[in-house]
Amino acid sequence: MLKCTRTVITMGMVLLCSGSLFLYGCSSSPDEEQLKALQALKDETSQLEKQVKDLEAKKSELDKTIAEKNAKLAKCNADQEIVKQRLAK
Amino acid sequence: MKLQSALLMIVAVVLTLSVGLANAQEMTKEQWQQEINKYTQMRNDLQAKVKILGDGNNALTAQSTKLDADCEKCMDDLYALVGSDRQKAAAYSSEVEAAEAKAADLMRLSDADLMARSSEVTDLENKVKELWGDKLSLIPEFWDRLTALDTKVKSLKETLAKQVKVYTVGTWSKDRDCLWNISKKPDIYDNAWLWPRIWQGNRDQIKDPDIIHTGQMLKIPQGKEMTGEETAAAKKYYRKVAAKAAAAAEAAAATAPAAAPAPAPKPAEPKK
Repeated sequence: MLKCTRTVITMGMVLLCSGSLFLYGCSSSPDEEQLKALQALKDETSQLEKQVKDLEAKKSELDKTIAEKNAKLAKCNADQEIVKQRLAK
Repeated sequence: MKLQSALLMIVAVVLTLSVGLANAQEMTKEQWQQEINKYTQMRNDLQAKVKILGDGNNALTAQSTKLDADCEKCMDDLYALVGSDRQKAAAYSSEVEAAEAKAADLMRLSDADLMARSSEVTDLENKVKELWGDKLSLIPEFWDRLTALDTKVKSLKETLAKQVKVYTVGTWSKDRDCLWNISKKPDIYDNAWLWPRIWQGNRDQIKDPDIIHTGQMLKIPQGKEMTGEETAAAKKYYRKVAAKAAAAAEAAAATAPAAAPAPAPKPAEPKK
């Protein structure tokens, strides 16, 4: 009985080990070239993200500048009207 | 025997776990493909965004440049309305700035120091009047600045008015009022040599210190020390009197060599 149990345990272990090794050996993984291509793509994406961030910052700055210039122009036009009124008096 | 079995079991479990872990860390081809697809999509989206943002920014830059030109033209038109141009406006602005600095300087003074420099308040008031005389003052920017200056000048004058004692000139026959004698009075300066203070404090109504008029209301500046300006005015006056006396003496010597020397001029007898 004891001998039988030991044999079953040993066989079980052998099956477990061989099954794991089989699974590991059968799964396919990308080669080095493919991994490099993926990394290059990631780098390019990262650079583009930075570029987008810079462009958005520039856009925000330009929007602000334009708003200031529009206000300046509006004030200048209003000033012209006031001067005309004062000259008419 | 049991120990051997247990050890074998442990080794088997460790081996199985290691293989499982190794499998979990390694990327499969399917996962790689998924990553490639994901990042390709991201790259395409970002490239499109970069293009849109770049084009948008170019348009904004062009708009900004156009606004610059519009603003400059508007300012030129504004100056032209008052018959001026940018250079003249810049020069005018500098003058206003100098007046503002002067006003700020005077506003910081103590009442006594302000009294000593009261003529500068008058100068500032005249300068502001002069600036108002230019049509550029109609431009709101300058208008507002000059209005603020007016307020400051008014405040300075009010401060001076509170400090100034007024003396009404009497008659020569009765009061013997001249600047010298007025200055000598105990309730004025109690010092005849300070008469230039009265003269300089009343430049608006005394052109010649030798001529004051009965009934004139003379401001008596506070303090018994002459300012540099007052001292300089006094020196100039004494030189002029000396030159006049010398000329008179020469003339007298030429016409009547034996005649007595001309009497010294008497300062500021009030005219009736």
